[in-house]
Amino acid sequence: MNQFILQQGISEELRFFPHIIEMGLKKNISIQLGSFPLTSTSGIRIFYITEGKFEWCINRQRYTLYPGDVTVILPGYCFGSEDGVLEIGAFSWIHLDMQKLDKGKIVPGKWSGLSENERVVVGNILDMNTSPVLLRFSEAGRILKNIQTELYSQEIGYHATVNYLVDMLLIQITRHLTRQNNPGRDFPKTFMNLEQALRQNLSHQWTVEEMAALVGLGTTLFNEKVKNYSGFSPINYLINIRISEAIKLLKRPGISLTDIALETGFYSSQHFSTTFKKLTGYTPSDFRKNNLKEN
Amino acid sequence: MQSIITIELGTNAVRVFAFDLDGKVIGSLKAYCPTFHPGPERSEQDPEQIFITMLYVLKNLLNEKIHPKKIKVASICFSSSMHSVLTVDKSGNPLGNAVIWADNRALKEARALKKSVVGEQIYHATGTPLHPMSPLAKIAWIKNNDSNRFHETAKFLSIKSYIIQQLTGECLIDYSLASATGLLNIHTIQWEAQALEFAGITPEMLPELTPVFASAGTLKKAYQISLGLSADTKIIVGSSDGCMAILGDGVKGEGRATITIEDSGAVRVMGGKVLRDERRRFFNYLLTENCYVSGGPTNNGGVIFEWFAGQFGDIKNPFDTDQSMQGLIDEASRVPTGADGLLFLPYLLGERAPVWNANARGAYFGLNIKHERKHFIRATIEGILYEIYSIGKILEEHRNIESLSINGSFGTIPFCTQIIADMFNKPVRLRPDFHSVSFGTFLLSATEMGIYASIDDAAATVELPDQYRPREQHYNVYADYFKVFEKLTASLADEFEAIAQLQHQYVTT
Repeated sequence: MNQFILQQGISEELRFFPHIIEMGLKKNISIQLGSFPLTSTSGIRIFYITEGKFEWCINRQRYTLYPGDVTVILPGYCFGSEDGVLEIGAFSWIHLDMQKLDKGKIVPGKWSGLSENERVVVGNILDMNTSPVLLRFSEAGRILKNIQTELYSQEIGYHATVNYLVDMLLIQITRHLTRQNNPGRDFPKTFMNLEQALRQNLSHQWTVEEMAALVGLGTTLFNEKVKNYSGFSPINYLINIRISEAIKLLKRPGISLTDIALETGFYSSQHFSTTFKKLTGYTPSDFRKNNLKEN
Repeated sequence: MQSIITIELGTNAVRVFAFDLDGKVIGSLKAYCPTFHPGPERSEQDPEQIFITMLYVLKNLLNEKIHPKKIKVASICFSSSMHSVLTVDKSGNPLGNAVIWADNRALKEARALKKSVVGEQIYHATGTPLHPMSPLAKIAWIKNNDSNRFHETAKFLSIKSYIIQQLTGECLIDYSLASATGLLNIHTIQWEAQALEFAGITPEMLPELTPVFASAGTLKKAYQISLGLSADTKIIVGSSDGCMAILGDGVKGEGRATITIEDSGAVRVMGGKVLRDERRRFFNYLLTENCYVSGGPTNNGGVIFEWFAGQFGDIKNPFDTDQSMQGLIDEASRVPTGADGLLFLPYLLGERAPVWNANARGAYFGLNIKHERKHFIRATIEGILYEIYSIGKILEEHRNIESLSINGSFGTIPFCTQIIADMFNKPVRLRPDFHSVSFGTFLLSATEMGIYASIDDAAATVELPDQYRPREQHYNVYADYFKVFEKLTASLADEFEAIAQLQHQYVTT
């Protein structure tokens, strides 16, 4: 395959795809000084290594990438080679513009064929991931190659096909990511990872689809596994964590009930109050009063 | 109709059972509670999460099985895992998470104490091995390493004490659970002054001591309403899971021992006397006055087989470990007794009894070119069970054991139960699908109500219908291989130390 580069605003091929900022394939046959400096962008960058070995710096951490590996660079992440050197080898990449939501959340834009809910889940999983390197992921290379072919050949239906392939790329990355983190062997460990993710982001309005995607299962199997293992449905398990955390906050004076409700993920103080009372018998304010009075 | 509810606050789960007064199970539910490992050697649980989980499970069980049939709850009785420490401030609010038995931070404190003369006196007075699991060592660790927390702490509780306090307002600990803290003199049933001094605390900083039968007060009004229970529902302090596991199997007096193998395991005997072991290999915990549960614990029970299955088992569907473990057991059963000379030392998590060495490690030994994957499977299971046998063997230096009972999810797998019978060369009894800890807690509660005249009478009523008989020719094979197992463990002491040091040095977690 030959080297190429397509750039938004310059390359005619990208005219109908404003969300593709850049796409290319690079074959580097000699070490290039100063040609791969640390940069950060507002889009998401995906690199697939085909040859060689690259020492890259991603968000201040150093990683070594080998053929078949993929790295996903999130918006704002500092990425490049620490000394600006580009080593010998070959890789292809795509640089995508993502739609920004509040709190810095990213989702695939309107071009995507995913449902609104799924777009949010994909964005969240990319965002929550802590390891930016996906190992042995040649599927990503194949998809990139197909996108290039479609863009150049412009056969009938290429517009829809390219968008479909970009969706596929993001879906496969999401799935590969969750499988890599949860190889499907050790449910206790996987459940622990989920618990950690829930606690780290307790104010987030989690959906079952999102939790299931995070551990790499479909929702039906996920519901069944969680129920069997924990005795709770996924949503009840989440509520259980929320109320445990709320109790800790209620025992500290000086935080308003509304703040506690929002911090622990209830959508209103009313919702907090009814859920809390249903389980404990106390309203949050009575619980707080009683706890202070007893001591 | 009346019922007795038992609540087990275990390490991985909260289990709630409802029994009728004859001891038949009306219903049961359990729910998971996570253990957090926020740093190396740390194992902690969130006391509020345990409390909320307990409420959730209890409430669901009452609403599903008890209230619809208008059954009256006569009493609620607790058991819990041993050795937890929860620090609370002067308002009774937790300072951080509870530190549980598996937490090894206090290794230095435990080792220092073990080498000292006062340590030896404390061990014989309290019955609790000097080990980082012990609250004695844990509190000393907090004193030495987290002085802010130590000074803010008004009381050092167990998880069970905290849960009961949330429900009734009383701050109590029963003799039985207290006897596993390393702080209680098991002969006088008073807090042991030397131990308190080492920990740097006074008796006022501990919950009030009560018998296991004591009432823990009345449910707070809000919980009476939300659970649908009346004010006269008795709340009974209860005991520890270890003591309840042996009572639930009806073991009392000479000649019998109980083996429990869940993730971890233990071999226990019960009797009127403390087992005095100069090599300090046993625990001696109190059940009631003049009734001692003695034995040895292992870290490496079913959790090791789960590790093996997770690494090497065939997983056909995601997370289907049950099916994978069954497949492994089928394969292992096609290998001759003794795994054709492949031995496994199961000390992946360090070991407690009988070697008491946190730096012990695992090994496969005796490999030859004919060994296949299936031999590794059988060797792994046999290795876990040789370790159980090695605890039983040192108990036999002190007690005559004629028969065994077994409980726990790993120990009651028929393949494992038969190996136990063969290794010990003794008959093994069990009741399949039976939860010994909860049943023991039922017996305790029923004795308190006067249904049984005494704990002994209650224990005498237990029937374990299934029996596995030892097979002599298999016993002979195991006895021969066990000699090598035992010798190997002893002769590798230096190498365990060396490899553990290197692992600390080179392995970053």
